[in-house]
Amino acid sequence: MYKSVEDLIDTATARRKPVSDLMIEQEMQTTGLSRDKIWQKMERNLEVMKKAVAKGSQGDGVHSKTGLTGGDAAKIREYRQTHHSLSGDTIMKAVQGAIATNEVNAAMGIVCATPTAGSSGTLPGILFILKDRIELSHEQEVRFLFTAGAFGLVIANNACIAGASGGCQAEVGSASAIGAAAAVEVAGGTPEESANALAIAMANLEGLVCDPVAGLVEVPCVKRNAIGATNALVAADMALAGCTSRIPVDEVISAMNEVGRSMPTALRETGQGGLAGTKTGQLLRHKLLHEM
Amino acid sequence: MTDRYKSVFDIIGPIMVGPSSSHTAGTLQIGRMARIIFGGDPAELVVHYYDSFAHTHLGHGTDYAIVAGVLGMEPDDRRVPMAVRMARNMGIKIRFIEEKQHSPVGHPNTAWLELTNRDHTLKMGLIGCSIGGGMIEVRRIRYNDVTFNTPGPLPIILFRDVQQSAEIHMKLLKMVMAVGPMLNQQSTNGKRAAIYSFTMKNPVKPAQLKKLQEAFPKLALLQVEE
Repeated sequence: MYKSVEDLIDTATARRKPVSDLMIEQEMQTTGLSRDKIWQKMERNLEVMKKAVAKGSQGDGVHSKTGLTGGDAAKIREYRQTHHSLSGDTIMKAVQGAIATNEVNAAMGIVCATPTAGSSGTLPGILFILKDRIELSHEQEVRFLFTAGAFGLVIANNACIAGASGGCQAEVGSASAIGAAAAVEVAGGTPEESANALAIAMANLEGLVCDPVAGLVEVPCVKRNAIGATNALVAADMALAGCTSRIPVDEVISAMNEVGRSMPTALRETGQGGLAGTKTGQLLRHKLLHEM
Repeated sequence: MTDRYKSVFDIIGPIMVGPSSSHTAGTLQIGRMARIIFGGDPAELVVHYYDSFAHTHLGHGTDYAIVAGVLGMEPDDRRVPMAVRMARNMGIKIRFIEEKQHSPVGHPNTAWLELTNRDHTLKMGLIGCSIGGGMIEVRRIRYNDVTFNTPGPLPIILFRDVQQSAEIHMKLLKMVMAVGPMLNQQSTNGKRAAIYSFTMKNPVKPAQLKKLQEAFPKLALLQVEE
């Protein structure tokens, strides 16, 4: 087990191996499974992610039972085809992929939790634009997920990844951070640059609370994944450009943990504070819970 | 630093029916672990929710997820959202209780499951916590009159020894030690049986479990299959 991001990238640098290889080796050790078996399992996850993006993007999209979310990924697809978007097509495609996935999740469809279901749109949002931008091969797509998983394990074991424990920064924040680090690796960056991307992405979302309306994984969760994905791309580009985090990456992770633990319960997945606590949030809660 | 999360698939995965990894996928696993302890379908299921679970179980699909687990479903089973209705059609009595006080084990995502048979001669259960990303901990286990706290992490190897024999305990301990490093072991005596539990550091492989169960047929393994 790698104790810290520093430990992980020092090993990768010393052994001149990508983080994805270290992750596969560790998985073989802990589970006793063959490399092929582990690889195939990750390919299945990738397949589920692709299917969710496709499902949420096609036609009118998918809609949740409550009607709170749905159809936005399809709107964005339409907009991309008919308009000249302000933030550029790469960004809007990432947004579409992220939102499509979380709309499928909210509609009780099948997703791959990365690291959680509430933040399941962030990694696909990042991953599936890289194919266009840097001609990612299938192998690199799978590697992206192993790298993200390696960094994610360090975050989960040193901090937290549940909204109830650390707010949305622990979910979408962590997803964005590991996605940024993995994007750097597949783009040919160094392990050090991956660590910087992770630190930048996580610091940028530090403090984000978990305030789901009516306790549902819909508002604001679905749209937050759009920010998770795009924040990761920006952080990855910054790291590849040579920007570094002033605060060492492992300290950023501890800071996220500490901020999370000091958040009031009302802002940690209880559906009470923040947006959930607004007049409209409360009205929606009342209405939906009576319908259910 | 902890090593609660061990596998890359704890972070990238599980593949699951939405909407929440901690409230749906994780609680489904809590239900599955309760089924393993009980050894099949119960006649009655009572679920106590605490803290975040008490506030959001309806919205997050926690009810159907727990019941799906108790029925033995996998997290990506399309029938997961229908589980409560299915269980009631099977004649299982189900009650959900939103507890006002805080979690007895101090975690915001806590559920206490009680499973009983028709004539109430068997009463088993557990307190499970969903710690994020579909990962769970089991903090307390009940076998009839025997209740004990566990450190939390899985896998846990459990054996109910009706002979309450030190010899059996030693034999099992030796075999468990051969499986791999152990984080914790306990034995708790009740009126009808002693319960031995072992928290393992690494996943127990299928071949290892088979060997254990050849010697101890009723041995149970609380482990989330990847």
